[in-house]
Amino acid sequence: MEETPKQHYTEAEKAKVFSDEFMPHINSMYNFAYRLTLDADDAKDLLQDTYLKAFRFIDSFQQGTNAKAWLFRILKNSFINDYRKKSKEPSKVDYQEVESYYNSEDVDRQITPDLRVEALNNMIGDEISNALNALDVDFRTVIILCDLEGFKYEEMAKILDIPIGTVRSRLHRARNLLKEKLSEYAKQLGYNNA
Amino acid sequence: MNIPDSSKMKQDCPEQNECLKLLQSILDGEATAEQKKNFMEKHLEECMPCYKNYHLEVAIRQLLKTKCSKEAPQELVDEIKTKVIQNLSR
Repeated sequence: MEETPKQHYTEAEKAKVFSDEFMPHINSMYNFAYRLTLDADDAKDLLQDTYLKAFRFIDSFQQGTNAKAWLFRILKNSFINDYRKKSKEPSKVDYQEVESYYNSEDVDRQITPDLRVEALNNMIGDEISNALNALDVDFRTVIILCDLEGFKYEEMAKILDIPIGTVRSRLHRARNLLKEKLSEYAKQLGYNNA
Repeated sequence: MNIPDSSKMKQDCPEQNECLKLLQSILDGEATAEQKKNFMEKHLEECMPCYKNYHLEVAIRQLLKTKCSKEAPQELVDEIKTKVIQNLSR
């Protein structure tokens, strides 16, 4: 949690903060939970745990600050602590390794998929969702935070506990990887040069 | 941005990767007004690869927004509310 002065809300204020500031983000939060766990039941549990935790620690939340970022950070931490361990996917992808691989300049030259807008417009099914889900969870996360939820780099750095430069580079890699996946689908759709 | 005349545009961009990074920070609202102006009003009108990249980036973002958002099931929302109310009355 952020080092903010502890609040002392009355019961009525707690209920109000919860319904006015936390509940409006529940769909975004559910989507984040679902995209992290890739499982509807796990997403449900993760969302519920997160909201109950947010309520329990409500005195650490300062009104007028960014409730959405605060909630996303709790959800991300709960996911890492409680779900990533037991997750079925062999999630022990070494992050550093992945990151340094994708940070090498060679990869940029390789990954310049000639994907066309026309091919994208024909992806009316689950292609984009499948492509996103197929990315390693850390790459998936930055795309969700930035492109779906509209967080600024600085907010993302706080949510993820990483430097802003890492946000920037991870996002760039993530988008290249997403395009790579999308151009595979485009080829399957018959866009040979896509 | 005006619709550029493709015959007058560069077909190669020596800085394509750097341009893509800049383009992404512009679309993410993280670039300065000056960077944005130079790139959107000048570079994009004369550089075909970057012009294409711009449209591709925009299209991917739109596709993500329309296809990758799931809403929380209403019963889950109700369950969470109920649990919190129970917590309050304890």
